[in-house]
Amino acid sequence: MKLTLFATAAVFALGLAACGGETPAPEAPAPAAEAPVEAPVETAAPAAGIGETPADVAAFMKQRHDNYEDMGKNMKVLQDSMKEASPDMTAVTAAATAIKGYADQMGTWFPAGTGPESGIETEAKANIWTDRATFDAAVVKLQEESGKLAAVTDAAGFMAQFPATGGSCKNCHDTFREKKN
Amino acid sequence: MEGTTPQLDTTPAKQRVWDLPTRLTHWLFVVGVAFSWWSAEEGQMQWHVWSGLTLLGLLVFRIYWGFAGTETARFSSFIKGPRAVAAYIGKLFKPNYRAAFGHNPLGALSVIALLLALIFQVGLGLFATDTSYVASGPLNHMVDSDTADAVTDLHEDFFNVLFVLIGLHLAAIAFYLIAKRTNLISPMLTGSRRAENVEGPPAGIAPVPLWRLAIGIVLAVGAVWLVTTL
Repeated sequence: MKLTLFATAAVFALGLAACGGETPAPEAPAPAAEAPVEAPVETAAPAAGIGETPADVAAFMKQRHDNYEDMGKNMKVLQDSMKEASPDMTAVTAAATAIKGYADQMGTWFPAGTGPESGIETEAKANIWTDRATFDAAVVKLQEESGKLAAVTDAAGFMAQFPATGGSCKNCHDTFREKKN
Repeated sequence: MEGTTPQLDTTPAKQRVWDLPTRLTHWLFVVGVAFSWWSAEEGQMQWHVWSGLTLLGLLVFRIYWGFAGTETARFSSFIKGPRAVAAYIGKLFKPNYRAAFGHNPLGALSVIALLLALIFQVGLGLFATDTSYVASGPLNHMVDSDTADAVTDLHEDFFNVLFVLIGLHLAAIAFYLIAKRTNLISPMLTGSRRAENVEGPPAGIAPVPLWRLAIGIVLAVGAVWLVTTL
């Protein structure tokens, strides 16, 4: 009897994001780049085409979680900008670019062994691994929409493209993210 | 108005207990809370936001009506101290029990609890966000990301409190229906009840001028307009 979606939250004392003003972009893509992407390979039988289980599953999943948190913070910058008469397009582009950067890596964030069967708390549903084609298509959708968002140059384009980007987040969450509760 | 009420001669007389705005507000709360729950469950977040804004307007109106409405709608008429509550419970099962005019002192606590819980829940919703950023509360931009996440979690969890209070409310209605043979639902629909073995003036509530209703509507719409433009 709850919404769904959320639950993430709680941790992270990143000072970023305070009230929509600042540009989050410079520091945004960084953590993603250093984590799941180059997670060391070892152990465990990899499921076909899904990637091998990282050595430190917990750390890998924590990084994945933090990446989504950071995407959320960037989305909030954009969401706040939607309410401004003349949004700061530099901040908009920076946030959109950060999201696009994460989206481009997302296909590597769900190797075998990092789902619910890991025993570690996660909202990633098992069907990410069993219905991989649909999941991958959802990731591509996000890449496309966030790419368009990162390319907008004026406020009108931003206002038109932001809902589509949010829709591509929801598109995936609805199917592959555990509802809270 | 109606100082000499001719219908007093006819039996069984009807006693007016709830004015139309109070009843309408009550049933719209029912619809609004149910729809808010459903829309959140289904991930229809834009509808959820609209539903919450409607509830906000209704709450503003109901609070105003608690000061400007007819007698039984007014907080001052039904908020009583613990002594009155205890006295009411004491006489609930006595032979001389008579159904209260409007909210009884115990039921008033339930009304206040429900209203406060709803105010709190709708207030949280103003700052909450959907994690897919398809929709967010109209004041979400006034808080930072971490605060918004915390508020959103609380908004989800607090629904359980609201759910329990609604359950108590329904249980109390069932209790009066079964144990006291008093139907509380029908007066909330029609506004009237049979004036037999009841407290309060036989004719019931006296009407209030229409302009008071108009002010309440302006306040409610104004509040919704304000939070959506801030």
